[in-house]
Amino acid sequence: MREKSSYLDKTLNSEREVIRNVVYSTDPADFSYMAANVPCQAACPAWTNVPAYIRCLYEGRFDRSYEINRIVNVLPGVLGRICSRPCETKCRHGERELGQPVNICHIKRAASDFKEPGHVYLEQLFAPLGKSVTVVGAGPAGLAAAHDLAVFGFDVELLEALETPGGMLAYGIPEFRLPRDVLKAEIDSILRLGVTLRTGVKVGEDVAVDELLKSRHAVLLAAGCYAARQLDVPGEDLPGVLSGLRFVMDVNSGRAPMLGKRVLVLGAGFTAFDCARLALRLGADDVAICIRGTEEDLRVTQDEIHEAKREGVHIRSLMVSTRIVGRDRVEGVEFLRTRIEGTRPDGRRKVVPVDGSDFCVPTDSVIVAVGQGPEPIPAPGEKDKRNVLKGDPTTFRTSVPNLYVAGDFMTGPTTVIESIAGGRRAAERIAEDLTGRKFREWAVRIHDTGVNDRQREWDFIPRQEMPTVLPAIERFQSPQPEVEIGYSPEPAHEESKRCYLCYLHYEIDIDACIYCRYCIDVAPRDCIKLVREVVLDESGAVKRLVETTAWEEVNAVVIDNERCIRCGACLRVCPVDCISVSKVELVQRALETGRE
Amino acid sequence: MARVDLTIEVCGMAGDGTIAAGGLLNEAMSAGGFSVLGFDSYPAEIRGFGRCVTRSRIGTERIFALEDKTNVLISLDDVQSRSRVPYLARDAAVFFDSNPPVYVEEEMSLAARVEPETTLFGFPMADLAAAAAGTTRGRNLTALGGFAATFGVPRDLFVEVITKKFKAKGNKVLDANIKSFDAGYAYGLEHFRDRLRDTLKPLPGIKKGPEKVMLSGNLAIGRGAIDAGLKLYFGYPITPATPIMEYLAAKLPERGGRVVQMEDEISSIGAVLGGFYAGARSMTATSGPGFALMTELITHGVMAEIPAVILNAQRGGPSTGLPTKTEQSDLHAAVFGGPGDSPRIVIAPSDVEECYRYTVLSFQLAEKYQTPVIVLTDFYLDNRVENLPIPQATEREIADANEYPDESVQGAYKRYLMTDSGISPRSIPGMEGFTFSATGLEHVEKGTPNYTEENHMNMTEKRHRKIAGALEDLPAPVEYSRGGPLDVGVIGWGSTFGAILEAVNIANERGLNVGALKITSIFPFHGGVIRAFMNRCSEVLIPELNYEGQLANLIDHLHRKDVVRLSRATGSPIPPSLILKEIETLVPAGAS
Amino acid sequence: MAKDHVVIIGNGPAANEAAIALRERAPELRVTIVGREHVRQYKPHFLPALIAGKITEHDLFVRPIESYSQAGIKLRLGQEVVDVDFDTRRVILAHKEVLRFDGLIIATGGKPRIPEPFLVFQDVMMTLKTLADARVWIEKLARVDSVLIVGGDLTSVAFAKALVSMGKTVKLMVDEHGFWPLHLGDETRQEVAQRLASSGMELVACRKLKGLARVSADEIRVETDCGRYTVGAVGAFFGLVPDVKFLARSGLYIERGIIVDESLMTHYDGVYAAGDCAQVYHPALRDYWVSIGYRNAENLGRIAALNLIGGKVCAETPPESIFHVEGVKVPTSWWAEI
Repeated sequence: MREKSSYLDKTLNSEREVIRNVVYSTDPADFSYMAANVPCQAACPAWTNVPAYIRCLYEGRFDRSYEINRIVNVLPGVLGRICSRPCETKCRHGERELGQPVNICHIKRAASDFKEPGHVYLEQLFAPLGKSVTVVGAGPAGLAAAHDLAVFGFDVELLEALETPGGMLAYGIPEFRLPRDVLKAEIDSILRLGVTLRTGVKVGEDVAVDELLKSRHAVLLAAGCYAARQLDVPGEDLPGVLSGLRFVMDVNSGRAPMLGKRVLVLGAGFTAFDCARLALRLGADDVAICIRGTEEDLRVTQDEIHEAKREGVHIRSLMVSTRIVGRDRVEGVEFLRTRIEGTRPDGRRKVVPVDGSDFCVPTDSVIVAVGQGPEPIPAPGEKDKRNVLKGDPTTFRTSVPNLYVAGDFMTGPTTVIESIAGGRRAAERIAEDLTGRKFREWAVRIHDTGVNDRQREWDFIPRQEMPTVLPAIERFQSPQPEVEIGYSPEPAHEESKRCYLCYLHYEIDIDACIYCRYCIDVAPRDCIKLVREVVLDESGAVKRLVETTAWEEVNAVVIDNERCIRCGACLRVCPVDCISVSKVELVQRALETGRE
Repeated sequence: MARVDLTIEVCGMAGDGTIAAGGLLNEAMSAGGFSVLGFDSYPAEIRGFGRCVTRSRIGTERIFALEDKTNVLISLDDVQSRSRVPYLARDAAVFFDSNPPVYVEEEMSLAARVEPETTLFGFPMADLAAAAAGTTRGRNLTALGGFAATFGVPRDLFVEVITKKFKAKGNKVLDANIKSFDAGYAYGLEHFRDRLRDTLKPLPGIKKGPEKVMLSGNLAIGRGAIDAGLKLYFGYPITPATPIMEYLAAKLPERGGRVVQMEDEISSIGAVLGGFYAGARSMTATSGPGFALMTELITHGVMAEIPAVILNAQRGGPSTGLPTKTEQSDLHAAVFGGPGDSPRIVIAPSDVEECYRYTVLSFQLAEKYQTPVIVLTDFYLDNRVENLPIPQATEREIADANEYPDESVQGAYKRYLMTDSGISPRSIPGMEGFTFSATGLEHVEKGTPNYTEENHMNMTEKRHRKIAGALEDLPAPVEYSRGGPLDVGVIGWGSTFGAILEAVNIANERGLNVGALKITSIFPFHGGVIRAFMNRCSEVLIPELNYEGQLANLIDHLHRKDVVRLSRATGSPIPPSLILKEIETLVPAGAS
Repeated sequence: MAKDHVVIIGNGPAANEAAIALRERAPELRVTIVGREHVRQYKPHFLPALIAGKITEHDLFVRPIESYSQAGIKLRLGQEVVDVDFDTRRVILAHKEVLRFDGLIIATGGKPRIPEPFLVFQDVMMTLKTLADARVWIEKLARVDSVLIVGGDLTSVAFAKALVSMGKTVKLMVDEHGFWPLHLGDETRQEVAQRLASSGMELVACRKLKGLARVSADEIRVETDCGRYTVGAVGAFFGLVPDVKFLARSGLYIERGIIVDESLMTHYDGVYAAGDCAQVYHPALRDYWVSIGYRNAENLGRIAALNLIGGKVCAETPPESIFHVEGVKVPTSWWAEI
């Protein structure tokens, strides 16, 4: 499977290394290797090449750092602020005894902040196809799909029901978290590919899906999730009880409601935190988020919890609301105490109310932020029980030919980066379905690299925390300042040094090795092993190393790449230069041109 | 000024930089004005894979010996340091690496072994060093940094000695070492805030005192030999005497001398005799096994009356024994070893400064008394370091001590002339009209062999008279007491005497009435002085580092009753506390 | 459970009482106490007296160090637990030593709480919970004459009095957390505060602390919503929170403290929590409560130990109590909202 070709690769990565031997592989063993060895990239729904963009930032090549993101993620500046960061929980630097994960997300933001003001990303465009697609919904999934379809050569029309594009990014996220100019700039960079945006067009009301299907080659519904879930408890319709999503959207549209001094937020996600923090900014001074489990069950980052508390948000746990009370207006919420009783099959904890433990908490307003679902759009085809069109999660097809769904509209609420990844994949499938050919594929790019210049000192640089506006009182002025100030160049550079660059692959040439074990002496942890046997999995990737302490059984000295922190200590000490370093990256390349 | 008396150990695996760290610690403390006595021990295996320990005692008063309890343990390797735990004082401070590369099972860490009230100073030495300098090599310096911060030693003091040690290796190495030190220092200040002390703040006014150097016994011997005008050194390497040869190999040629590594100890002593025979100051240094090989030729020197200086750095024996352990068990061999009635001079310094002085003295003794002079040291004395004012020898001390024949006897020269002192003037080959024959056969005054009964008796008597007469030039025993009758008198020699003196001092501070007598002239010895001392003592105690009680065997007939022996064949120095305990059991109840 | 190993994390009243109970009832057990502080068990409520110079450190200690080896209890001091793996039943120490346990009692107590909005001033605020803290205070008070106390929990009352007795100027800024662990209404709180003011402290009447900045080593500039002034030191006294952060991802149920049932067991077999770090669910209360205070901790420690070796002892429902604080009568429930 491994096609070996040697050619000039002048476009990528480094002006300094112009000519290199490059191998592109689609061998499953190499994909298995990537999944295990570059954990951040594997954890990213969009497979962002994290080590590469961090390395570029380190080298001061901010434009390129931004572009590496932009290849798979149309909104790097946005995601650099509000991404849910699945990569960071998998970062090797965060393993026990190694410290804290690299601040991957904030480096992304730094790349976006520091790139040339007039930076323009040169897209690798395909020839026009003469076919047209309509994308419904200008949220993350719709934007990503529209962008990719345009790149493939389609004539793309993007319909948005609200007044401005961006979807939840524009309406569901407070400005203190995401300044709107950042969003607008990145949306503009998508639209300039020739995507026709029409806002204020509500599909199903202003124009029917059927009609679109008639005039276009394909229609993609990516309308998101705008129907707020309800608590389904008595009293939910009392004045003073607000839906979280509606509350945030109202505030974002400049229609802030009156809340009073005491606010209870019911919910455990980012929206609940947005509501609580917005409530403080609207003048409430006793704001509590009430959750059924404990802080550990919250679906937000530790930073989020910390910043919210720093602003004065209280988190009250182990309670579940049963009734909202009040005569003309909400006066309080009745709760039951809860207990944790084991773990559910999905790994989350089972929290049950305690009978007879009810108590009442007085309040002036209640914000219900318990999630949202897609709003049904009138369309032909098979529906689920809530009358929302059903789609296949891999092909994005519905039961109606040429009608596709993607994003949260298909999956229910997810993260922004998942939506973007979903939108891209949907675009690819649509393009393949409409043309009968593949446009691009993922491959593992392997090439020799010069000696790693990472310094062991860098492993001990403390995680550079994102500076925020402090003391928290300063955040409550109008207009709301962005809470996260952004790195200045120096801490960003420091943070970029922390990345182990897991895309580097260290290997001992066992034929040249003299078994001196100097490398083991200088190893920072048990990353180099004396092994009797290397067990491979079915794909051919290393599954397990059988270690031995009996010298006569040693068949090889092997670097365990899953333990390796790429410090280069072994390389520097090897007396016979039998350790090689190659750079291994998961990249997406266009099939026609071979370009990435 | 509070009195300081701290015993500090650095312990690690060979390769951890243990000895280097201990050395820097001693230098810094010395520069800070403290008295320092240090002693390193390192693994016996020639390839060097095992435990290294440096012990240093730091004090405001002069220090005579090492203590057996450690107040501060700086561990560079938990596994090695675990064996040091029994020696920790109750409230000891222990510095250790809190982030080893791998997890360890219960009880395998140093922290698990120490008594609960030991103050633990865990810090990630390797990580700090790696973070500061990119390599964990400097973790010994990092450890010192943590220690310095905690005990109030100013950073500059260490930076100075680190600079002195590493500047020759270039700025990069120096910089890495200082960075590693600073990392530990900063960490200590920040993380041990509630446990910081200023125990080792430098003594005030230290710059005014005489300049001090850190010297080991071996180095003092080497410097003494050079200052005494040594011309030729012949030797064969052996622990613990090798550093003398290494030092001389570096320093002697630039002063016109030569160092020759011989094929063995027999040829070494042969060449030394040849050198002195030809008029050049010559010496060799060896240890027990090598000394045994030399005995035959030493008695040749006795018989042919040729000067020689032989340094015997004792180690644990017999045979190969314990090459890296200390013992005082060659006294019999030095005094009595070899064939025949063969008197020779044996002297034994008891501290580093005496190592210097006695080496200088040995050349004059050898020349004047035309005999091999054996200088007895031991591993503990050779390898311990003390800070002392730079030692210097006077012109008189290094002057030629040969008694040359009078011009009047030119042409009728009798090499072995019978004299009252037993000293026959000695000519050097090449002096016209003073030719002679020298031989290991018994001989008459002219030097020709002769085996008659009368001649052998007279000549043997002459040689013994000569050596007995050397007493006038040999250092007399030194007494440390208030005078008058003593409940206990402790007599000692060599490296053990420091511990004796300290124990006696403490005993007297506690109100006991005891005294110490230092004997440095082992043979011949000052019997009258020793007897007079013994007569004033109710009990006489002789602690020494051997099983047989070799000094006691030599002098116990001088006492009117049995002397009490404290003979220890453990390979380790006797701690003062042990002697003190023995003294206390000997003092009659109620005496204090 | 012959020769089984019980590890007790913590070295306060609950931990020591548990160890003693285990020793008495189950002599065959191996018992290890792991304490983070470098000193043996002491009475923290005497720390203000220590600071005032009325007693010496020696007077603080509860029992001689030898008593542990005599009782066959392995005491590890100055050693910190950083993680517990309940699947493999291992305790991981900060220096990477691994202790295997058959039974575990977590009794880490509480640590000073600094409300999140004040965390930004953490560097300039001092706390008083441990002997190490007290030593830092003693050193500080040798150089400064005025102290601002923010928050104002019960510890701070004793501490402030100690300061007054030393002739220091004390400013007291009581906020809504005032007199923790008691849950006082605004009026009662003000009344208690006024009484304190009459004993020589100055009451600072403002609601918001806007800024704290170190001007020099021994000068801190304080900015409030009603004025600025300079003090020598600032003490944060907002009560305690259970010291259980190191268990955050261990799988234990933790809200404020470690959630245990009325027999003090966590949801892991043979793993108990006792003292200030335990949050007890009590079926009779139908709610949770956290114990406060030395005596309660001892009781809970003993109960956890007895249950660990097969007993069936329930933590008693704490009674409604009446407290007298500065002569004011205060009803309290143990469950304090913090």
